[in-house]
Amino acid sequence: MITLRGLTKRFGSTVAVDALTVDIAPGRVTGFLGPNGAGKSTTMRMILGLDRPTAGQALVGGRAYRELRRPLHEVGALLDARAIHPARSGRAHLRAMAHSNGIPIRRVDEVLDTVGLDGRAAAKPGRTLSLGMGQRLGIAGALLGDPPVLMFDEPVNGLDPDGVRWVRQLMRSLADEGRTIFVSSHLMSEMQLTADQLVVIGRGRLLTDAPIGEVIARSTVAVRVRSPHPDGLAALAARLTAAGATVEAADRNELTVVGTTADRVGDLAHELGVRLHELSPHAASLEQAFMELTADSVEYAGGTTEGGQR
Amino acid sequence: MSTQTDTDSRPAIAPAAGAPGAFRGAVAAEWTKLSSVRSTWWTALAGLLVMFASAGQLAIYVANDNTNDDPADDRGIVTVGSVLIDSVEMTQYVVLALGLLAITAEFTSGTIRTTLQCTPSRGRVLLAKAVVTGVVTFVLGLLLGGVGALVARPVLGEWGSAPAAGTIGDIVAVAIYLALIGVLALGLGAALRSAVLTLTALLATLMIVPLSLQEPDIDVLNRIADVFPGVAGGHFLAGDTEPYPSIVGLLLLAGWAGASLLLGRAALRRRDA
Repeated sequence: MITLRGLTKRFGSTVAVDALTVDIAPGRVTGFLGPNGAGKSTTMRMILGLDRPTAGQALVGGRAYRELRRPLHEVGALLDARAIHPARSGRAHLRAMAHSNGIPIRRVDEVLDTVGLDGRAAAKPGRTLSLGMGQRLGIAGALLGDPPVLMFDEPVNGLDPDGVRWVRQLMRSLADEGRTIFVSSHLMSEMQLTADQLVVIGRGRLLTDAPIGEVIARSTVAVRVRSPHPDGLAALAARLTAAGATVEAADRNELTVVGTTADRVGDLAHELGVRLHELSPHAASLEQAFMELTADSVEYAGGTTEGGQR
Repeated sequence: MSTQTDTDSRPAIAPAAGAPGAFRGAVAAEWTKLSSVRSTWWTALAGLLVMFASAGQLAIYVANDNTNDDPADDRGIVTVGSVLIDSVEMTQYVVLALGLLAITAEFTSGTIRTTLQCTPSRGRVLLAKAVVTGVVTFVLGLLLGGVGALVARPVLGEWGSAPAAGTIGDIVAVAIYLALIGVLALGLGAALRSAVLTLTALLATLMIVPLSLQEPDIDVLNRIADVFPGVAGGHFLAGDTEPYPSIVGLLLLAGWAGASLLLGRAALRRRDA
């Protein structure tokens, strides 16, 4: 369980994270989405006590991270896969982490095994690790203390397709074990495959916090309506427009309706007694939903008022 | 609500039975980090080489001064320890690197974030680093002292004396001095984050500023210079009684090391990692 309450971070006059209030619940994968610079990494760093919030608080299991004595047993995190000493081996990196939290050293081999790093890869100095191996090492470090809460910042970056699938399965099984999984990604398609819940932010502000199906359903869905009766269709179009929907006539027999649901169009058609040959919602992908959600914040970011101050 | 979710979340595996306290764990982690990079061992080797060369050179100077035509520079018989202590002047900069890199390398590579994730208490992290740096530089100091004495003794020949107790005392004093300088470098590194910046600051406090103060040989300025860590450490090493007893020199140096740790802790607490 991760609890954010009015979490705010300002860097000078820039607001990186703006009064974020979210609960990230256990037992599911919560995707953390936002355009670049939306404040995802800053939020994660504040949860880990690395950055100090300007206001508000971030709690893990009800406590502030800086108060934890053996935090690796409470929270595992992969932040930056490249953050390993260039001359230190992956194994030594994990051993140091294990020592710091009183974790038995045999656990290092267990997690190396879990993430699929063999003895040779684990003995290589940090500078020679590929981004993919770094990601695996970072995930190994996150799993070290077998924590109930796990955070991953862009975990599939640099992984090959096999690795991507592996990370997906890993997050799923970790969530199924009842853990809290909080994972950021800029890959919407990735979220669509892994996340149960979506937290979307833009310009540091919470845009949505909802189950992934709902986010997609709520977004603009174009509904295609076909009817053999052009007159009936015209009447339907008039009623839909009056109800606030945007109607576009593809031809005499076909309409594209935006801003309402297929159910609603069907009800209206029934009311008007218009015979339909097709009534099909065009489900938006998460990508579309995301673009829509963040459109304002992106636009705002590109605006001259804010940009001019930099 | 929170009670509900707390029971929902899986219990974390308990720390291993008899697992050491958080501080001992942090110390073990710091030792693992320091010993697992080759640069630590190369630095130690470099220190030994510099000590070897420095002690040899200074011993040759003593012998030359005593045997040349100019009787004015005769120094007579000197102790091996005094040559050793003079050699520390050069060698300390290599040892400083150990304390310095223990923290600045973490900022360069980004591992500071992993370190603080493992041990969120900034004070505990820095103290663990100080213990490891202090012990390592102390042991290295003993080794350096031994090497310096072994080199200086034969080179000094008839102009050198090596009373057992005095020499061992000097070697231990050198080790203590280097340990405190190492910790001073560590604390400053935590505050300044950059290796170059820290080394510059150390050169200034250890050498440049006190030397500049002493240059005009004005009493007040000399007194101020006497408070600087390098000068205070020098008085401690030399076993001086003026301008203050050598123990005061030791305490001053320890005070500098402690103050730099406090400064480093404050910086780690305040600034984002």
